[in-house]
Amino acid sequence: MPTDAERSRRAADLVTAAARGDDAAWKALVEQFSGLIWSVTRAYRLGSADAADVFQITWLRLAEHIGRLDHPEHVGAWLATTARREALRASRASARVVLTDEDAVFDAQEAGGETPEQAVLRSERADQLWRAFRTLPARCQLLLRLLMATPPPSYTEVAAALDRPVGSIGPTRARCLRLLREKLA
Amino acid sequence: MHDEPDDARLEEELRELAARLEPVPDRLVQAALDAYAWRTIDAELAELTFDSLAGHEEAALVRGQQQERLLSFRASGLTIEVEVTAAGPARRLIGQLVPPQRTEVKIRHQDGVVTVATDEFGRFVADRMPAGPVSLRFGPTPGEGRSAVVTEWIPI
Repeated sequence: MPTDAERSRRAADLVTAAARGDDAAWKALVEQFSGLIWSVTRAYRLGSADAADVFQITWLRLAEHIGRLDHPEHVGAWLATTARREALRASRASARVVLTDEDAVFDAQEAGGETPEQAVLRSERADQLWRAFRTLPARCQLLLRLLMATPPPSYTEVAAALDRPVGSIGPTRARCLRLLREKLA
Repeated sequence: MHDEPDDARLEEELRELAARLEPVPDRLVQAALDAYAWRTIDAELAELTFDSLAGHEEAALVRGQQQERLLSFRASGLTIEVEVTAAGPARRLIGQLVPPQRTEVKIRHQDGVVTVATDEFGRFVADRMPAGPVSLRFGPTPGEGRSAVVTEWIPI
């Protein structure tokens, strides 16, 4: 895995190139950070319409700011912060009942079909793991769901998505994984 | 006590599960790629300075309900006030430039651009806008030596 310094340098190079009009650099940024932004929408449990809005707004904001970032090397944390703020705004706006993952599964059951989730969860280990994850305290689900992004985010990016100090991420992760392991035992 | 490699393995297992259960939707990845085409290099950015949704639950614009949301953007020497109302799935934007000026307003949204104009009082209206991200672009107004101004993207 690349070091944080290598990631930062690569991110800064991509931002600089994208600001000059390099399509391939933009595509590389999308590939690097879409998983992180999507994980923010999942971690904050947004419904599908709000999640789509937050994801799109975050990328549109970056397109608008690409040549104006003060710290291009921290573009991942900038994206995570933008996505968090938009996710919290969307949560406040959605006074309507949010369609949660569980609702989606329920709806599919009512309709007599099988969701992709149910297909995956027919594997016993996957089912146990996901159930155990869903019974963790909210702060653990929030943190772990962010860490579950593909590709794996840096602790700096996760801290930005939580608005928490970077130093708190490692210890909280260790506690939450220990809790998860106890539930699986 | 479990050591670090155990934690890394469990985290990786969770990551693989999340990638299978909740993958980034393909259409959103495409939207992220398309977002690049919207970047502007010749315009001043008007930042969001007020949003009635930020902090006031009772002022929330709820999808499908008839309520209003107030937004304010600021660029150098220009304030843009926008009121958003929802009517079913559509959105209505009523805005005003302060100080007032006549100019072209391009309302950029995910499916295209709607062009309207401000009147002598700096007011403009756009009906039947689709819900989702929008950004407003004003001008340029060469007569006043002003470059174009674009607002931050916001969801409506």
